[in-house]
Amino acid sequence: MKFKAFLTDNGVNLLEKRFLPALEKTGKSCHLYLTRDHALFLHNLLNGDGVHSVAQFRKEALFHDYRISSNNDDRIAFALDLSLLLRALRSAVAVASEYSASAATRLEIKLVKKLSPNSTQSMPFLTLETRGYKSAVIQDIPISKPLSRAQVTELQSALESAQELPPTLVQVPDLNQLLNLVDRMKQVGDVVNLFISRHGDLSVQVSTTVISLGAEFRRLVVIGEQTNAPSEDQNLSAQTRSSRSISRGDGQSVQVSVKHFAKSLQCHLARPDCAFYGIAPQGSCLTVIFQFFIPGSRETDKSISLHCRLPVLDPGSG
Amino acid sequence: MSDSGMEEEEAPDLICELENVNGLVDALTAVRWKRQQDAVLELSEHGIVLIVEESGCLQAKVYLKRELFIRYDYKARGRPRFGLSLGYFVDCLNAFSLPGQSSVIQIQYPGPDMQLLLKSVDSLDASICAEIRTRIPDTIAWNYNFEPAGANPLTFTVKSAALKEAIEDLEWPGSSIEIILEPDPPSVTLRAEGHGDLQIDFMYYVNSELLVAFQCDHRTSFKYKYKFLRATTSNMPSTVIKENRGSKLSIGRGGMLKVQHLVSISKPSVSHTYVDAVGYQQPGRIAHIEFFVKPEETED
Repeated sequence: MKFKAFLTDNGVNLLEKRFLPALEKTGKSCHLYLTRDHALFLHNLLNGDGVHSVAQFRKEALFHDYRISSNNDDRIAFALDLSLLLRALRSAVAVASEYSASAATRLEIKLVKKLSPNSTQSMPFLTLETRGYKSAVIQDIPISKPLSRAQVTELQSALESAQELPPTLVQVPDLNQLLNLVDRMKQVGDVVNLFISRHGDLSVQVSTTVISLGAEFRRLVVIGEQTNAPSEDQNLSAQTRSSRSISRGDGQSVQVSVKHFAKSLQCHLARPDCAFYGIAPQGSCLTVIFQFFIPGSRETDKSISLHCRLPVLDPGSG
Repeated sequence: MSDSGMEEEEAPDLICELENVNGLVDALTAVRWKRQQDAVLELSEHGIVLIVEESGCLQAKVYLKRELFIRYDYKARGRPRFGLSLGYFVDCLNAFSLPGQSSVIQIQYPGPDMQLLLKSVDSLDASICAEIRTRIPDTIAWNYNFEPAGANPLTFTVKSAALKEAIEDLEWPGSSIEIILEPDPPSVTLRAEGHGDLQIDFMYYVNSELLVAFQCDHRTSFKYKYKFLRATTSNMPSTVIKENRGSKLSIGRGGMLKVQHLVSISKPSVSHTYVDAVGYQQPGRIAHIEFFVKPEETED
């Protein structure tokens, strides 16, 4: 089992400035799953609870001279602590910036087994090596034992089932604004009620017996199955419109944890260009898909993808 | 539009709109001295008054005059009063104050179920809404009758920041604070005795920067519970201090202390989005805040 690659400047930037800070908010530890073509950061795919999050990078998006081999079809997966990886990466960047005046530095990342100080058994580490002109800085990040063949298979199948798209997706206008609102919602209650319709309505609401707080967005961009909003609904209140829409079958609502919802919004730290929310068939989960554009264009960057699935507390209606 | 005729009778008591939610949050936070606090709102054609009270010894009122609102449609007969949780009210209002954005908030009472309804009205396609359940307020008159102590008022005005600082400094000595007004030399003394003694003097002629105005014709002294006195300044909005405002304190019959602050509510948080609007805005739209503190019972 071998893995060795060099992080590109763009890769370092993507991970250090954008993805790791965002993913860290989803959960401190995650699985890093490496295949021949991709590197994936996966949250909670093997244990059912919590926000499932999948960040996938084509190897070229992060690395050059990417070498991987294992007797499980060249696939390697292990658990690691994201905050440690982020710290190591930050210090590697700091070291590299001191060197870079003279020559290009190379940031190598690889899997190693080492004897740790207080143990006789060798332990697995993900090592970051910053090599400058005269010296090198090596940082070892402790990781879990690589997952077994069966676990990797399980991870792979969880990943495949997580790829299924909801039939209707609506584009969320402003993640920051929504995040601010959700921060307030956390003080009101634990459960957020989310409604999405095929004509571009999105509403989020937290309610208790004393108070309800929410936001509604209309005429959002819809991807997938869509219908036109019935004109007779135009001037009705949000609540009436959503219940009419649910009974007509062109809208759906689910309940998710406010904390999970806030975590999904934290992904804006990865600086996505668009975000879409959708409810999976039968209201099985709430899916959030983030889209990244090729810098300077409106074209989707297919080498990067990020999406989350939020467990549903109550399958709701529709 | 078509059913406006039908709704005439059922028009809500009040629909009003306010531009600067932050200012409202500031004003209400100033009277929020603990987490769970019940407030009573009183609506009238002149504006909204919010009243909070504690232990029969401390009362605060926030006056929101109708001039503060860009729209104020008052349709009620009589003066509707209702109770709600101040904490929830402030939390909800906070949700409307988006960083880097100005938002117009609409407040309506009552909703279909006697709720207080809050709604952002900047855009048709995106809005924030909140509903807060109201309750029937206690029938006990919460009015603290503040009457002048004599023919001449006993009053002084001190820089709000200095007042807040003085009260904070008095925390360590103890639970009871004596306020002494002395006509000659004209001065105000705050004294605490407890674990130790601490006395803070404001001399009228020596430092007119701090003590802005002073009126007193005979020596007066009353004691107040520290925690009540502190509530009058502990959540003073930072704008009050930034704008270098003064607070007016008066002592009425029986030693009732009245503390008045002014909080400006009209300044939009982000001026550039409001370039056009600034022109017609009044320079200082102000919410008045009043605290009433009863003195400690004296033995004699």
